[in-house]
Amino acid sequence: MNLVEIAGLLLFVMLLLLSCGVWIAMTLAIVGWVGLAFFSSTPPGPNLFTAFWGSNASWTLAALPMFIWMGEILFRTRLSEEMFDGLSPWLNKLPGRLMHVNILGCGIFGSVSGSSAATCATISKVALPELVKRGYDEKTALGSLATAGTLGILIPPSITMVVYAVAADASIIRIFLAGFIPGLILMALFSGYIVVWALVNPEKTPPADAPLSFLQKIRASGNLIPCALLIAFIVWVLIAGLATATECAAYGVLGSLAIAWWSGSLTWENFLGSLMGATRVSCMIMFILAGASFLSLAMAFTGIPRALAEWVASLALSPYMLIAALAGFYIVLGMALDGISMIVLTSAIVLPMIQQAGFDLIWFGVFIVLLVEIAEVTPPVGFNLFVLQNMTGHDSNYIARAAIPFFFMLVIAIAIITVFPRTVTWLPDLVMNK
Amino acid sequence: MPLRRFLDHLYDAAGYLAAFFVFAIFAVMIGQTAMREVGLPTGGTDDLVAWFTAASAFLAMAHTLKHGDFVRVTLVLQQLSPRRRRALELVSLAVGSVFVGYLAYWSASFVHESWSLGEMAGGLLVIPIWIPQMSFVVGATLLFVALIDEFVLVARGNLPTYTAAVDARHRAGDFSEDL
Repeated sequence: MNLVEIAGLLLFVMLLLLSCGVWIAMTLAIVGWVGLAFFSSTPPGPNLFTAFWGSNASWTLAALPMFIWMGEILFRTRLSEEMFDGLSPWLNKLPGRLMHVNILGCGIFGSVSGSSAATCATISKVALPELVKRGYDEKTALGSLATAGTLGILIPPSITMVVYAVAADASIIRIFLAGFIPGLILMALFSGYIVVWALVNPEKTPPADAPLSFLQKIRASGNLIPCALLIAFIVWVLIAGLATATECAAYGVLGSLAIAWWSGSLTWENFLGSLMGATRVSCMIMFILAGASFLSLAMAFTGIPRALAEWVASLALSPYMLIAALAGFYIVLGMALDGISMIVLTSAIVLPMIQQAGFDLIWFGVFIVLLVEIAEVTPPVGFNLFVLQNMTGHDSNYIARAAIPFFFMLVIAIAIITVFPRTVTWLPDLVMNK
Repeated sequence: MPLRRFLDHLYDAAGYLAAFFVFAIFAVMIGQTAMREVGLPTGGTDDLVAWFTAASAFLAMAHTLKHGDFVRVTLVLQQLSPRRRRALELVSLAVGSVFVGYLAYWSASFVHESWSLGEMAGGLLVIPIWIPQMSFVVGATLLFVALIDEFVLVARGNLPTYTAAVDARHRAGDFSEDL
């Protein structure tokens, strides 16, 4: 059998197992085992142990349970109510008015949360009923919440980025910093779309709330203080050199516990619930990472990634064509898979290809995170769609249709970072003095 | 049914132990930065954190499976009639059990070897490496037991525990564990 046939066979086994409903982590490892046992002279057993132990017993990976726990704690506080009350008085002059709370709220919450579904659920929990009560267009509200919720994984911290950094062996802090400006660009695109939409459909925006005096506005914004303090605290810990990027995750937990305690939501039940939830979610991710690391190891033994990278190089695609092809590939993949699986499933194959073509791994990380964001809002499997489906009772396909204009904003953001890669690399280069 | 209760308690106990290790990561990291600030030596804490991370992941596996948090593609499963769905569920449970049994076997044989050879950890914290690696053996074995347990449940005509758990959670509007 030549390498192409082997690759095809392994792909077939993977798709077969996945469609039978075999858990993704196990599928990855089983495919790796098939590759090693039949197409290399390396014994699979000891390598299986080494890959699983080596990928989980990792100091860098310790940031993962910490960031997840932080999100779980904040989800159980009153942070989302406070966000709505603090932001809404300032938005009455802007076309689209309170609709922008969705974007700003998700952006700000995204900078303390590393998960897209958690951001979407937290902000929607409060913003959606408030907007509908005031007579805002529900469809646009749903679309903007579904899509803006994905800012949670683009604006640091981000669980998806930690997973990518581990898979690509890249610096977590660099990729966190790299997500910042694209996050702001994306927020501007979302808000820009809402402004245009509101100007074209003036009848769909209800009248403004009674205006508050400037002082009242300031007082209302006092609600944003806990969240702002938490962001400032984490940045300070990092800049002051008190903690590394991994350790600053633990300080995020400390700050979140402080917020929960301050707002009175730190009950024993909430504490234990958040800790157990974080344990399960990080266990799930680490199991996938372990399976993927064994698969990568097995792939390297078979020589498939190198052959594939060389084949792609021999096509002499222009960088833009390669990126466009990959974007199309990931959008299709994202219809059926969740973001984490998407990254770890493809990293063994795609990353060597990308490096061969001369792309920066940090830049590619942000690119792939944007595609994961698209995956979260494309049916049939899109997690933010499921979140809103359960919160509103609307069918997930209806929500996906509502998200279409915002979906195109994501595509535009991808085009922007591709044409102007400095938007991604400028900030990490500046901060890391390179 | 005492066996049922015993097994559920076993998975949960390991899950709580895993959660304790998540908390321990937090405590050690904060302690480590504090000690560094006052100039105390922090050698070995990085190894400790790495082992805790592994323990938190491995020990929680059975509990996480039962809770329905392991990701899988359910597109095909959802299209099928209940009878066919059950058949396919049994196929994937059988495949999973065989694989995890293999994983548990290799973890046990590898760790047994490092125990009999008296292998030590290579970092700053020099202890026998089998001690932290035991979390792998215990976690993989428990996951194996949990998969067999589910296989028997489904074969007897019950709904898988993990499916029921996810449905109940989503009906209650709890998405905190979806990414």
